[in-house]
Amino acid sequence: MTFFEEQLKQGIFQISYCEKCNKKIWPPNEICHTCFSQSKWQKSKNIGKVIEFSKKDSTYFGLVEIDHGIRIMGEILSSSTPKIGQIVKMQTSFNLKPHYSFIVENN
Amino acid sequence: MNSVAIVGTGQTKFSKDDDDVEKLLFESTRNCIQSIENCEPKDIEGVLVSTNNNSKYLGAILSETLGLQPKISHSIEHLCSSGTNALISGYAYISSGLADLVLVSGAESATNPGQILEWDKSRGSFEHPIYWASMLTKSHKTKFQTTEEELAIVSAKNHKQAMDNPLAYSNQPRTISEVMNSKQITDDLRILDCSRSCSGSASILLASEEKAKKISDQPIWIKGIGQKTTSASFTKNNLEEIESTRIASKIAYEMAKISPNDVDVAEVHDAFSVCELMAIAELGITDNHQSGKFVRNLFNTEDRMINPRGGLIGAGHPLGATGISQTIEITNQLQGKSEKRQISNLKTGLVHNMSAAGTSSSVLVLEN
Repeated sequence: MTFFEEQLKQGIFQISYCEKCNKKIWPPNEICHTCFSQSKWQKSKNIGKVIEFSKKDSTYFGLVEIDHGIRIMGEILSSSTPKIGQIVKMQTSFNLKPHYSFIVENN
Repeated sequence: MNSVAIVGTGQTKFSKDDDDVEKLLFESTRNCIQSIENCEPKDIEGVLVSTNNNSKYLGAILSETLGLQPKISHSIEHLCSSGTNALISGYAYISSGLADLVLVSGAESATNPGQILEWDKSRGSFEHPIYWASMLTKSHKTKFQTTEEELAIVSAKNHKQAMDNPLAYSNQPRTISEVMNSKQITDDLRILDCSRSCSGSASILLASEEKAKKISDQPIWIKGIGQKTTSASFTKNNLEEIESTRIASKIAYEMAKISPNDVDVAEVHDAFSVCELMAIAELGITDNHQSGKFVRNLFNTEDRMINPRGGLIGAGHPLGATGISQTIEITNQLQGKSEKRQISNLKTGLVHNMSAAGTSSSVLVLEN
């Protein structure tokens, strides 16, 4: 299990970034795409906005952007139809694969 | 750089049933070799196998099965565009002078691991292609005012065209209404908007110019190649575009010294209905705002210009074989051998094959 996965399992979303290039690396990687130096980790603020969404059965899912540029597919927890641009709070877990949930604020 | 031609082709029927990859490879290869009268199998210098199957060492296994000891033999995996990438590798071996005759054979079993990219942590638990396809479809409807009917026409058209393809996994016609009322997979995707993972195999024999002129009286020339990979992870994509296709086609057009207007027939990667609309726009055949109308017009006038064999939706999608099967269709069309599917007066054809939500695309330009 990678550091990213271990942290997800504890509900912590860690973002890999390069200190030298001042760039986030997503999907997570221990090596910077640009300078190949060892990346660092910082915790996400766990706040995002809905970019696009759809629904399967009774579950909304969609593409959400967190921390200015990191886009993730996940479940959107909302009692009404989500809106593009809507602010969401992220919760994470890991059980063989990552699962990201986005809770619509003021739901 | 030496010219490279397609001199032989062979396929199996596509099927929803699981089948043995080694057996499928042999069947399409045998059909390919038997399609050329003057081919001595011992002259084959390269054997490339395209698949997502977990079986090992298939290049060597196929070579031994055919009684060959080639100079070059290995497998190629690049998810759904493995097939065209194997052809591009075969092209490179011949154009560089490393080989004169290269067999490129792709195969897949229906239950293959190629639909899921475990590495892509950005997809979370929504890793199946239906989820990114739903995002692209929803975005296309919003951004370009594409209607559900226009999306359904892609599938109805391709199913109709597949009726004349005896190797398609199904020859069942589907009306626009049937597509629009088929099982809802997500709010933005119906089951008949989706291509189906299949078993099947397709093989092509590539030859240098000198060899092609000796063993074929109808060689089809690969005049342009473009391949572009923009990322591996889906979430780096802009939802309203397939950048890799746009760049790959530009490279292929430049190499072939043609423009999109010169394309007479094309096989495009309709993994889902929306992909055909996006592909024909990125290839420059139409634009995003007109793509729905363009496909409606093809359907209404029974013009088979796009996906004459039925595309992935109509014919089925055996991942590692798909790009090779698409190329065989364009080859047969340019040779005038497509029987009921034949389009008249063709000079230039195009193949568009892509992987993982369009993060990588290959484009081939073929001429007779």
